[in-house]
Amino acid sequence: MTFRTKLLLVIVVTVVATVAVAGAVISSATRRAFERLDEQRVSTLVAQFRQEFARRQREIAERVTEIAEADSTVAMVISLGRPDADPAVYVDEARSLAAARRLEILELVSATGSIVSSAQWPARFGYREDWVTRRSDWNSREPFLRHIELPAETTLGLIAVREARVADRKMYVIGGENLDREFLKSFVLPAGLRALLFREPQSIVGAAGPMPDPAPLAPLIGQIRARRRDVTRTVQWTTDPDSAETFHAIPLIGPGNELMGAFLVGSSRAEQVRMERFLRRMQAAVGAGGILLAALAGIWATRRITRPVEALAAGALKVAGGEWKTQVDVRSADEIGALADAFNQMTRQLLEQRERLVQAERVAAWRELARRLAHELKNPLFPLQITVENLQMARYAHPEQFDEVFRESTATLLAELANLRGIVGRFSDFAKMPPPRLETVDLNGVVLGSVKLFEAQMRAARVELVLQLAPGLRAVQADPCQIGRALQNLMLNAIDAMPGGGSLAIRTAPENGGVRLEVSDTGQGLTPEECSRLFTPYYTTKTHGTGLGLAIVQSVVSDHGGKIAVESVPGKGTTFRIDLA
Amino acid sequence: MRLSAWFPLAALSAIVAIAGAATRPRYGGALRVETQAAPAALDPAGPDALPLASLVFEPLVRLDAAGTPEPCLAISWQHDAAARRWQFALRPGVKFHDGFPLVASAVAMSLKSALPGVSVTAADNVVTIRADRGMPDLLLDLAHDGLVFAHDAAGGLTGTGPFRLTAWVPGRRAAFAAFDDYWGGRPFLDAVDVQLGRSRRDQLLDLEISRTDIAELDPAELRRASQRGRTVWSSAPVNLVALAFVGGRAGDPRVRQALALSIDRAAMHNVLLQRQGDITAALLPQWLSGYAFTFPTSPDLPRARSLVAALPAKARVLTLGFSPSLPAARALAERVAVNARDAGLTVQVAPSPSSQPDVRLVEVTLPSPDPARSLAAAAASLGLAAPPDAASPEALYNAERKLLEGSRLIPLFHLPGLYGVAGRVRVFAPPPVSRMGDWLFQNLWLGEETP
Repeated sequence: MTFRTKLLLVIVVTVVATVAVAGAVISSATRRAFERLDEQRVSTLVAQFRQEFARRQREIAERVTEIAEADSTVAMVISLGRPDADPAVYVDEARSLAAARRLEILELVSATGSIVSSAQWPARFGYREDWVTRRSDWNSREPFLRHIELPAETTLGLIAVREARVADRKMYVIGGENLDREFLKSFVLPAGLRALLFREPQSIVGAAGPMPDPAPLAPLIGQIRARRRDVTRTVQWTTDPDSAETFHAIPLIGPGNELMGAFLVGSSRAEQVRMERFLRRMQAAVGAGGILLAALAGIWATRRITRPVEALAAGALKVAGGEWKTQVDVRSADEIGALADAFNQMTRQLLEQRERLVQAERVAAWRELARRLAHELKNPLFPLQITVENLQMARYAHPEQFDEVFRESTATLLAELANLRGIVGRFSDFAKMPPPRLETVDLNGVVLGSVKLFEAQMRAARVELVLQLAPGLRAVQADPCQIGRALQNLMLNAIDAMPGGGSLAIRTAPENGGVRLEVSDTGQGLTPEECSRLFTPYYTTKTHGTGLGLAIVQSVVSDHGGKIAVESVPGKGTTFRIDLA
Repeated sequence: MRLSAWFPLAALSAIVAIAGAATRPRYGGALRVETQAAPAALDPAGPDALPLASLVFEPLVRLDAAGTPEPCLAISWQHDAAARRWQFALRPGVKFHDGFPLVASAVAMSLKSALPGVSVTAADNVVTIRADRGMPDLLLDLAHDGLVFAHDAAGGLTGTGPFRLTAWVPGRRAAFAAFDDYWGGRPFLDAVDVQLGRSRRDQLLDLEISRTDIAELDPAELRRASQRGRTVWSSAPVNLVALAFVGGRAGDPRVRQALALSIDRAAMHNVLLQRQGDITAALLPQWLSGYAFTFPTSPDLPRARSLVAALPAKARVLTLGFSPSLPAARALAERVAVNARDAGLTVQVAPSPSSQPDVRLVEVTLPSPDPARSLAAAAASLGLAAPPDAASPEALYNAERKLLEGSRLIPLFHLPGLYGVAGRVRVFAPPPVSRMGDWLFQNLWLGEETP
């Protein structure tokens, strides 16, 4: 991943993270605000319900008391108390009384508990309401909740019972109102709120009528039944989050402390969900816009930032590739500019140092060459000088031996001159290394050909040859003569490195699509310092070497586009490794 | 005699004279009547012809208040020992409303359509009726179904009754005028104006505000009418109120039987029907058959519950339909639902024909004082199988019991036709309404409205 990409990613991630955090904070704050608002609205409605419930209790008590104390009721009590009383006369009485007093529930019940007249279910005349005869303190009791049977359903009624008494004759007046959809309609509901009424055992009605599918409210009802106190719970009507609704339930308790039902205030979370959804969309839009802007700005900024860095990197690569003269063109006054200046200065210094090094190496090479030449030439010169001095001495001191001395001396002079010519020839050969003539070459064949040349010499030097040639080694493009000469140089060096005998191993193997040739000996090995200078021309660790053998090997390998390396462990041996493409 | 002794005597004479003047019938006035029925035409053979037709048309014989046949257009009759051949001598001097005299051939023509399967011949002033079987109840049949009519010059029907038709607006109004040449003497009333198709509620309101003189009453309104000083006339209990299963869940006899056993007729009779009519579990009323009391009417809730317990839950729900025009229909239906609930049945009450109920509250008017004819007519109108000819009370009883087997029909009550009457309507010779509900308005006259 490039520096620019990384920088761009950092900017984008920063923007995204910022937008996400901001969105989360806004969403959270909005949710809290909605929840606070909901709580306030629900609290208001709950208070309204309690007030309305108390008001209706008062009104029902007043109306039922009025009926119980009315003259017509008193007349009815007297009439029904007679032995020949005919309750049928009053069968419609409750309806007219209920209509006049605006009561939905009204039953006139005889002293024995038999219904004389029923407003809510006229057909129930003659049926019994025995529960009403079991108490005698009805006139002091507050209205209470009771299940009321109607022709089509059982509803929940808020009722009061009053005794109408004349002397020892009495009857009961049971009156009240249904807690039903009409009751719910009396509440002023702000938008998003609704009131429901749960009536045991399982009826749930709203202002619009019975709920078609109240199943999702079952857990809430279960909680109310278990706790018998206010419960708040969120109900999900469908899989759509819009359908979520938070319900606050107030249990409605009967006179025997039994649960008769519950008043449910539902607060739709649709607005909140819509707002949160809007915020999420906005957040996504802002985020996307931010990311886009951040990407554009980031691209622009990173370009500005990374352009000099890239120039520096390119320059460094050029330097690494050998272009020591590389300079980067960065004109900024910041750290990058300073870095570019430093880079340019560094390359300049590297160039100067390299030139100095080359010069020094050149001087050193010349010195080495001069030393080697002096050394190589000094050895033949000394016999030449001795031979010439012997001739001079024989000419003047022993003229009779002059001819014999002359013959021997000229032979020696010729031999040493031949030696000098050989030295000069080798130097000349090194200077005139011809370019390789490439052809398809079987490296194993080259190895075997070279090994034959040294078989006698190795036997004499007690060197054991170990050949590990990879079968089916692929052919390489090479000059077989030069490769063979390089191998022979390495073998010769190895044999020289084992004056007391040893093992010479030659291995070939495929390597990274090319081939590898290794030549190992078990000689004394080389020091690291010797290894580092090993391929330097005219450098040798041998007393009689020219120092050109390994230089020629390196030259041949280099001319074939290959690489040569050396590994050596002092006291254990040395391995030369040639890789050819 | 001293003057002081004459004064009280004179005062008493004056009071008697005034009272006599007040009760003496007088001619004139138009009687206003309202009825729920709305027949399309005044056809003496039509199913809803009565009681309107009884103003215009008359039979050969009619029934008195005790149900005994008495002469009407026939002044005498005789029959052979097997009652297969009957001879009726026509009343002389009787005229149709168009002025033509009543002749035997016109009577024979009328009776041929009213008495299918018999031979009717006319000779001089005698009408002879023959049949292959005995006709012991022929007089009852003639009294109710044998109205005599003739075609007038305009092609309409004309009769010999105390009133003649003067205007007919189908379904809305019928106007009648006194027939001056009526053989029984001109009626006291000049005219009778009948508003047709009026609901019972509207009739009651009209009666209360004196917009009508005679209105049909629901039994539940009887007390209210009485409290307001209205006279109430009634026929014999000739209207059968029953529950009729019409299909659906009624296929299971246990449902029908459970419903029949759950019904507390007495409470309905006492409270909803104001004790009018009779409680019954029979098709024919006690006064007509004499054996209706043998059909048990008491509820048996334990048995009803055990029957319901054996039913699948789906079969325990019934819909009960009723026609709002029936007397106290909704109240009766709702009470049936309450009773059924005690047995474990759920009965949903809905006015017909808004739904297709499983069981329906129906009212059937028994058309004839002949129990066999009434049974056959009731069976026909209720969709039951026609009962076999019943020549004896035992056969009639068996026929009726067979009809009621399986509880496809649950008789509840026999109700009379009830009329609330304004205070100015006076009856010269009772009854103003016959046992079968025919109007005998020739016996009425109009006095002063009583406060």
